[in-house]
Amino acid sequence: MAKIEQEDKYQFAPKKFNMWVFVFTSFMFFAALTSGFIVYAGGHGTGMDMKLPAIFTYSTVVIVLSSISMFMASRAARQVQLGQQRLFLIITIALGVAFFALQTYAWLILLPGMGVYFSNPNASQSFVYVFIWMHLLHILAGVLLLANTLWGSYKERPQAKNLFGMQMSSIFWHFVDIIWIYLYVFLLLNQY
Amino acid sequence: MGFKSLISSKKMLSLVAAFLLLGTNLLMAQEAPAAAAATGDAATPSVWLGPAYYILLFAVVCFAIGIVGKILRVYDLSQQIQGKKPINWHNVMGVLCLIFLVAGMYGAYWSFTVHGSMILPGAASVHGKKIDQMFWTTTVLTMIVFVITQILLFTFLFRYRYNAKRRAHFLPHDNTIEKVWTIAPAIVLTILVIFGFFTWQQITNTVDAKGETASIDVDITGHQFAWELRYPGTDGKLGKTNYKLVTGTNKLGLDFAVDKNTYDDLQADTMVLPVNKSIRLNIHAQDVIHSVYMPHFRVQLNAVPGLPTYFKFTPTVTTAEMRRQEGDPTFEYLVYCNKICGGAHYNMKKVVRIVSEAEYQAWLATQKPYMTDQVKKDLKFAETKPAAKENRLALNN
Amino acid sequence: MSTLAVHDHEVAHHDEDHGHHHHDTFLSKYIFSQDHKMIAKQFLVTGITMAVIAMILSILFRIQLAYPDKAFPLLETLLGRFAPGGRLDANFYLALVTIHGTIMVFFVLTAGLSGTFSNLLIPLQVGARDMASPFMNMLSYWFFFLASVIMLSSFLVQKGPASGGWTIYPPLSAMPKAMPGSEMGMTLWLISMVLFIASSLMGAINYVSTVLNMRTKGMDLWKMPLTIWAFFLTAILGILAFPVLVAGVVLLIFDRSFGTSFYLSEIVLGGSSVQPFEGGSPILFQHLFWFLGHPEVYIVIMPAMGISSEVMSVNSRKPIFGYHAMVYSLIGITVLSFIVWGHHMFVTGMNPFLGGVFMITTLIIAVPSAVKTFNWLATLWRGNIRFSAAMLFAIGMVSFFISGGLTGIFLGNATLDINLHDTYFVVAHFHLVMGSAAIFGMLAGVYHWFPKMYGRMMNERLGYLHFWITFIGAYLVFFPMHFMGLDGVPRRYYAFTEFESMKRWLSVNTFVTWAAIMAAVAQFAFLFNFIYSIFWGKKATQNPWEANTMEWTAPVEHIHGNWPGEIPTVYRWPYDYSKPGADEDYIPQTVPLSQTMSSNLPHDFEDNPAGLEAYAKWAEAQKKSDEVK
Ligand code: HEM
Ligand SMILES: [Cu+2]
Ligand SMILES: [Cu+2]
Repeated sequence: MAKIEQEDKYQFAPKKFNMWVFVFTSFMFFAALTSGFIVYAGGHGTGMDMKLPAIFTYSTVVIVLSSISMFMASRAARQVQLGQQRLFLIITIALGVAFFALQTYAWLILLPGMGVYFSNPNASQSFVYVFIWMHLLHILAGVLLLANTLWGSYKERPQAKNLFGMQMSSIFWHFVDIIWIYLYVFLLLNQY
Repeated sequence: MGFKSLISSKKMLSLVAAFLLLGTNLLMAQEAPAAAAATGDAATPSVWLGPAYYILLFAVVCFAIGIVGKILRVYDLSQQIQGKKPINWHNVMGVLCLIFLVAGMYGAYWSFTVHGSMILPGAASVHGKKIDQMFWTTTVLTMIVFVITQILLFTFLFRYRYNAKRRAHFLPHDNTIEKVWTIAPAIVLTILVIFGFFTWQQITNTVDAKGETASIDVDITGHQFAWELRYPGTDGKLGKTNYKLVTGTNKLGLDFAVDKNTYDDLQADTMVLPVNKSIRLNIHAQDVIHSVYMPHFRVQLNAVPGLPTYFKFTPTVTTAEMRRQEGDPTFEYLVYCNKICGGAHYNMKKVVRIVSEAEYQAWLATQKPYMTDQVKKDLKFAETKPAAKENRLALNN
Repeated sequence: MSTLAVHDHEVAHHDEDHGHHHHDTFLSKYIFSQDHKMIAKQFLVTGITMAVIAMILSILFRIQLAYPDKAFPLLETLLGRFAPGGRLDANFYLALVTIHGTIMVFFVLTAGLSGTFSNLLIPLQVGARDMASPFMNMLSYWFFFLASVIMLSSFLVQKGPASGGWTIYPPLSAMPKAMPGSEMGMTLWLISMVLFIASSLMGAINYVSTVLNMRTKGMDLWKMPLTIWAFFLTAILGILAFPVLVAGVVLLIFDRSFGTSFYLSEIVLGGSSVQPFEGGSPILFQHLFWFLGHPEVYIVIMPAMGISSEVMSVNSRKPIFGYHAMVYSLIGITVLSFIVWGHHMFVTGMNPFLGGVFMITTLIIAVPSAVKTFNWLATLWRGNIRFSAAMLFAIGMVSFFISGGLTGIFLGNATLDINLHDTYFVVAHFHLVMGSAAIFGMLAGVYHWFPKMYGRMMNERLGYLHFWITFIGAYLVFFPMHFMGLDGVPRRYYAFTEFESMKRWLSVNTFVTWAAIMAAVAQFAFLFNFIYSIFWGKKATQNPWEANTMEWTAPVEHIHGNWPGEIPTVYRWPYDYSKPGADEDYIPQTVPLSQTMSSNLPHDFEDNPAGLEAYAKWAEAQKKSDEVK
């Protein structure tokens, strides 16, 4: 039995665990939405009855790239290369913002352009909007978290604290990425 | 010590005195109006009068409790001073537990006999008899458990109440007995599950058996706050409906333009059904969820907008027989609404009357079709023009 | 590790100072406190306040049921447009029922119960200085507070609060035109619930994390008190279930305000106004709701079970019988409660086969519940029962749980549920098993841990009075309701005047109302006792109940970090009561086995061969010395 009671001054380990559990609750939320979709579509008889616009492929590529740069930033942080860490963090944030822009463009311009409206007798199509919006909320939170970490990296902080910040934001960011991939694949499978 | 300072507090005393004064004044002066206040006479000087009386009562009770608390306290102290033992609350509570057990068991018995005699009469449908059987089996099994466990609980409390000289028996676990009381309920529940599962399957298995005459179709549609009934006419078939066609004159949205079966569909105010015939209730809702509940037949199914459902059952007791059996010449079967649906949910019912086949046919012959003259007129007018509109609707879907 | 694991003297010396140098202001101490003990008290006081409010609501609608034809001018004075002419409005009756249910289930028995006792006991009983994230913990309370305020504020809007029942099934709740309560009131309800869920999740995440990561030395999972097991598993239930309700609520918000049709289809309002919705499924909402809703009822009862187990063990001066079985049945309930939600939907027209499956899973869940009951009875058997007020309430909890759990067996049987669904039988079932059992568990907790929270004792005799009146009152209120249900009397009816067959229940309804009023009045004994004792109660000693768990090793005065020095180490399970050979009839968890040689059992050394060897040696020596004598 490890010495649990050895006091970890900032309670880093439990806080990281909190993040994991939080990620899990978010996952349950999306699982519920997609199950809702399945129940709905099952009762309705068809899927979304539409082809997903190609823009989602681009946004998926963008967010995967952002995950990679996040990974690089974490590695830099572990190797105490502050400059690199900041650079990659900035790249990640930029990619996150780009993703946000692409998605917003998709739901604001593209989908209505295709005749796919939010207020819609076929709620499978409304679900696309719900997925995008709920995911964007997470992206927003993620970008803020990243920005906070970036800002923190400019302050004089002990490495432990810096690393902790990086770990927290990377858990979350990778999760947000994976959730989008999950949603995207889910939507691809349910186009018709 | 709570009571002590409650009583000795001067504020409390003066408050009580004020209440007493106020209360007696009110009571003296207002004997009659006080009664009126309860029944809501507008002439009462103040709506607070009745409540003031109860608040006073409450204060008096608090006061009495305080005094009793004080007396107990004094008694305890004097016992201590005399070197005797103070009140042994463990004994008091132990005895109370025992009294509660006896009184409670008697109360439960009383409730079973008095209230238990007010419950629904035996099922008036074929499947309902099976449900009743299940119900009584379950009741007997659970009541045995109920009585035994409650008796054990409260006798243990009395029997093992605190005694400074005794020590509890150190018994952290006993695997055998734990296994026994895991497996025993599991077996009982398995029996109930199997029993229930097959009964459930029979009830919900709604395919007409081979050679059986087809069930009589009856449509029941819920809306805020009434049930609409629809019987098939001579063709025995209910015509199609479309919710988009619902208007003041065409309450169910019968699709006269598309389905000729609608022409002879009948509307009815009472759900009259022939005895010993299989009935298929088609259940719809127009606005919110309702629930078709016919407790005497052990029938219940939700009416969900956009999701038609149906329930098949066979009534076995006519209304006349039930009146005789219940000794109540005004008895009627009813269908209630049993899913909260808005303000008048509590008053959404239709009379159900079970009659002989002959009476049923006679009754059916007097019912009016949905195709009223008004509808005919509308339809004639509509038949020429809205064909195009109909198409558009179809395309939209 | 020293060679002799029995007396594990290895002490990890480190700074006593654990980084808390607070300069408490009033604001940081009492309002935005991050100390788990203060947050627990905040939850408790808010919870009790909400409970009193919900209780008053219930008395209001009970009066309506008892005197459907009478007018009470006072009601009009108090409620204005909601009680025109001194009689409750039918829609307002439904609003009362809805808000009563919502507050009791969520605000009192979820936040008030878990929020109070998880916060108070998790750090104290596992030996931690505070929660994993005290800041999040504080947020959790303030979200809860905000949610409470918003829920109550819905009484102030023009059309009144939400009134579709606490289960808010659409389409009733989705269309503002369906009933007055579905307008602004429903919106506020939804906002309040989203905040509430956020609060619950923040709390639950903290509880899980603290239990898993911050236990003191020696406190392995199988040495945790049942309270902690219960809170821990409850938190897991919440984490899994609440996000699903958020999903359901989000979709409902879209249906209400943005014209989507997730839940709506083929609707005609008012007999002619055709609505544009198509293809939605009201049943989808019910699935999402009950996927939370059923676990939610166990979120409510499991902490009560944990508290009662602990209180009963302490006051019977006996170990809880079958500790492992108790834990496994809690785990069993946790797992099973996710696959039974369909039993609330037997008569929705759901696929009958699915109904059959849900029936099987539902009746399986009764097995762990039965095991727990029998184990409680066995705990009392041959105990030395001290009737503290807490003990009485724990016993009441068991009695109610039996009575209410047994009727669950009727309802879980799809066949019987056809006729029982949505009748007073269901009302009786869940009020006994939840409304009474869980509340009694909570009250047991309040009486038992009051000294820990406020450093003073509550008045026991007033507690006795409170217990007996409430206990008898609750049975008087809910027992007759079973028979109303068996007579097919539906729940959520504003008055039983419109049906000839229901009129004969009027006398019973009047009786029930007066029993309810009596029980409600008895709560003043509690409120008085609670408030009075906070300020003027008898000062508590450190371990007033002579209990084994760790919270009683912490000083009476609350300090940041709970223990002044180092956190004590744990050596044994929490239930060594009346162990043969021990001097006292209790041995706290922090007493090493080496100090209690005379009472040790070979069983105590299961994973500890070194200890067993030492024990064997000691026993040998003991024998010899006996022989010498
Ligand atoms: C022995 C295990 C139990 C079984 C088999 C069981 C079964 C059921 C069933 C089948 C229903 C649905 C009845 C209906 O609506 O027709 C129900 C309702 C309910 N049960 Fe239980 N139950 C059990 C224990 C509990 C516990 C421990 C609680 C809470 C602490 C609880 C709280 C509720 C509530 C709140 C409802 C009513 C929900 C509503 O419609 O408003 N039950 N129970
Ligand atoms: Cu209705
Ligand atoms: Cu349930």
